[in-house]
Amino acid sequence: MKKTFLARRNALLSSTSVSWGVLALAGAVLLLLIRLLAPNLFWYTFAPVFRASDLLAERSHAFFSSFGDATALTLENERLTDENAALSLKNQELLQRVNDLAELGEDIQGIVAGVVARPPASPYDTLVAAAGLKRGVALGMEAFGEGGTPLGIVSSVSSDFSRVTLFSAHGVTTNGWVGQAGLPLIIEGAGGGVLRASAARSAGIAAGDVVFVPGPGKLPIGAVVRVDSDPASPSVTLRIAPASNLFSISWVELRDTGITAFPPKADPPSAGATSAP
Amino acid sequence: MRGTLTILSFISAVFFPWLCTALLAVAASFFEPLVPLAVGLFADTLYYTPQAGVFPLYTLYGAVVTVAASFVRGRLSASPVRDI
Repeated sequence: MKKTFLARRNALLSSTSVSWGVLALAGAVLLLLIRLLAPNLFWYTFAPVFRASDLLAERSHAFFSSFGDATALTLENERLTDENAALSLKNQELLQRVNDLAELGEDIQGIVAGVVARPPASPYDTLVAAAGLKRGVALGMEAFGEGGTPLGIVSSVSSDFSRVTLFSAHGVTTNGWVGQAGLPLIIEGAGGGVLRASAARSAGIAAGDVVFVPGPGKLPIGAVVRVDSDPASPSVTLRIAPASNLFSISWVELRDTGITAFPPKADPPSAGATSAP
Repeated sequence: MRGTLTILSFISAVFFPWLCTALLAVAASFFEPLVPLAVGLFADTLYYTPQAGVFPLYTLYGAVVTVAASFVRGRLSASPVRDI
């Protein structure tokens, strides 16, 4: 016999069995709780996964690069070889200077940490570094990439891991200079690994000018790649590409420079983790 | 199909760029409206830091897609009177 009744309709939950969506949501909530209550355990669990992700990204990049134009790649290779030789010489010179400074008693050694997650997998322009409180990482430390390029600021620390908010993160601002003349700028993160800044049109800034931020002295953070101007406006917008490729950073050096580039905000309270107050 | 898309969305959040994750989550929402919310929550669990923004954007985007998908499914579903 047929029965007719008004079924309780709910698009989210099935009355007969638990759906994949409910299971997925429950799993996500469970992981969130683990991250909030035991952040160190969480990062220990996910660090191998992120490393596997990096390996996959590296392999796929190599695979797709092999389809590139061979002539262009050869020219690029030659250019990079020359550049590498010049940089090696420069590096030797700087190394000598570092040794001289060390003899003068200046401690410029930082904490070297492997990167376990980076953009584009990490969508907020953040890096997860495999060094935390146990190795002396503290909030507000600055992160540097290869060649001493400033990358960002440590914004959250747990026992063995820390997270670095990159200067390119949306809304992050820092002071800096552009060009050899050292014109002061307020550099703003535009997200997706891009920085931008405004400057007076009369300053005559052009593509290729190097942008610096304070550190021990002036540190190059990137270069102007495009100058957007509106004839009605007395200022121009500078598009700045970071000096380091954020997508291929494998290690960072963390050290305290005494500079906080952006005002720290409150992090949700979590046991065993420290974050900006 | 439901299970595959759901699991792929989660794997993508770790292994692939966020755009790929977003596409998979939207595709999964046609079958399971809660998946975008779950994937957004998962992405923010992995990557969100308060210094990068006030709001956990991926959870919010996931919630918006979930609400939209639920609304569409509600409209497309059969009459509330069912026969057994």
